[in-house]
Amino acid sequence: MSVAAHLDNFGRYLRFCGRVVGALLSLRVMRFFGEALRQAGILITGSLLVIMGLVFILGLQCGIEGAYGAASVGAPSVSGAFTALCDLREVTPYAFGYMMAAKVGTGMVAELGSMRISDEIDALEVMGFDSVVYLAATRLLAMLMVLPFVYITAVAVGFLGSYIAVVQQIAQVSPGGYWQIFWQFQNPVDLLYSALKGIAMATVVVLTGVYYGYFAGGGPVGVGRATAKSMVANIISVHVIGMLGTQLFWGGRPRAPIGG
Amino acid sequence: MTGALTRATRSTSDFVETVGSMGILTGKTLVSAIRPPYSYGSEFAEQLLFAIRLCWFPMIVASLCFSYGPSGIQAANFLGLFGALDRLGGVFVVAVVREFAPLVSAIVMAGVAGTAMCADLGARRIREELDALQVLGIDPVKSLVVPRFLALTLATGLFNFYALVFGTLGGALVTITNGAPLGPFWATYFSNATTTELWASEVKTLAYGAIIAVVCCYKGLTVSGGPEGVGRAVNEAVVVAFLGIGAFNYVFTQTLLATHPILNVPR
Repeated sequence: MSVAAHLDNFGRYLRFCGRVVGALLSLRVMRFFGEALRQAGILITGSLLVIMGLVFILGLQCGIEGAYGAASVGAPSVSGAFTALCDLREVTPYAFGYMMAAKVGTGMVAELGSMRISDEIDALEVMGFDSVVYLAATRLLAMLMVLPFVYITAVAVGFLGSYIAVVQQIAQVSPGGYWQIFWQFQNPVDLLYSALKGIAMATVVVLTGVYYGYFAGGGPVGVGRATAKSMVANIISVHVIGMLGTQLFWGGRPRAPIGG
Repeated sequence: MTGALTRATRSTSDFVETVGSMGILTGKTLVSAIRPPYSYGSEFAEQLLFAIRLCWFPMIVASLCFSYGPSGIQAANFLGLFGALDRLGGVFVVAVVREFAPLVSAIVMAGVAGTAMCADLGARRIREELDALQVLGIDPVKSLVVPRFLALTLATGLFNFYALVFGTLGGALVTITNGAPLGPFWATYFSNATTTELWASEVKTLAYGAIIAVVCCYKGLTVSGGPEGVGRAVNEAVVVAFLGIGAFNYVFTQTLLATHPILNVPR
């Protein structure tokens, strides 16, 4: 595809996002608040467990690296410093973004795409529903209602993973010593920054998911292809947001209790 | 209560069945890859090029971002507090070679090439092309799964080096933005780099590639359930692949660190 076609698609994507966000900000979405609640429920029952699963596994990973890394400089007791930065600032947002893209984003493409090709979206329009508000904006609202809580839970699960790896498994530091260093190396502002990063990733993932699903075409095969394509867009945007967020919040500002 | 119990039992047995079927598919694929005739050559080359063409750009973005953000900025901040920014090179050996290059290669391969292959196989399944192949006496595992499995595994392994180069570039970029000279970065980088680290990274990435390929091919071959089927299969494939990658990473890394104490010596 040529560059012009890519730009054209990107412009279409931005216009669609504008419509969805506009419907949310002008509170037109409130007419379908029940649908938004239903979507929020689906998000929790369907996706919570796998998101936590990936965050937990990568939390364990942080713990392993932290424990071995701190032991290699002869100070196993400071592994908490590494895991605090690793879990809270970087790995939880990324794991969260990946799993949102994999589970929620592609799920939305598959669902909306199959509605599109079986002409259900056109049927909604004929019945006088604004399909963008009903299908896309409700999903965005549902995500924004639920995800702050899901994110905080994910951070806690990541912390638990690191704790298990460092204290229970490698076992070179006592629980008290671990937690002391661990809590010293973070504060609520860091949690807020981390959550902003995660929520920004999730918002882009949901917008991309509904976009690719809403404009899917070409039969069942087309839906599968759109699902795969949405993943490409999500992978790129999750990484770019992760990098920009880190640069914005922590670039040149360590926020660690060392020195003056 | 009994309803919930039955549901839990059923989902557990589904899970075991799926894992078992994936194991069977892996075995069939390996046997069929070794046993002559080797008729899958051209399809293999085509799939390899397909994967490389799809992934090269997301791979650059992902590996640069991942090494510039997490390992770069955070580690540089931390080391800068001690006035030891020259140790960033040593951190990058651990961070990029051991963890992030394999992880980024796997995430991008699963998300970009794996999903595309799953969608492709799923499309063939619901168009009944796979049944047609079987009627013609052609084994779908040999003609479709084996080339994809080999191509995805090899491509993931190759992209590991690619991610490694761009990841290290991200480290150099952080050093420059912190106003430090590049000489000490390279010095600590190369004095901390070991061959063990490199082969372990490569073995890990090849295994990731194999996991992704088996999961995506399995989900593609077993698509069912109407127009939503292909989309749902892609969704499940990428979720299972990510979880599989994470679980394998955990087991592999700690086995490696526990059995190779040389990796834990800072130089």
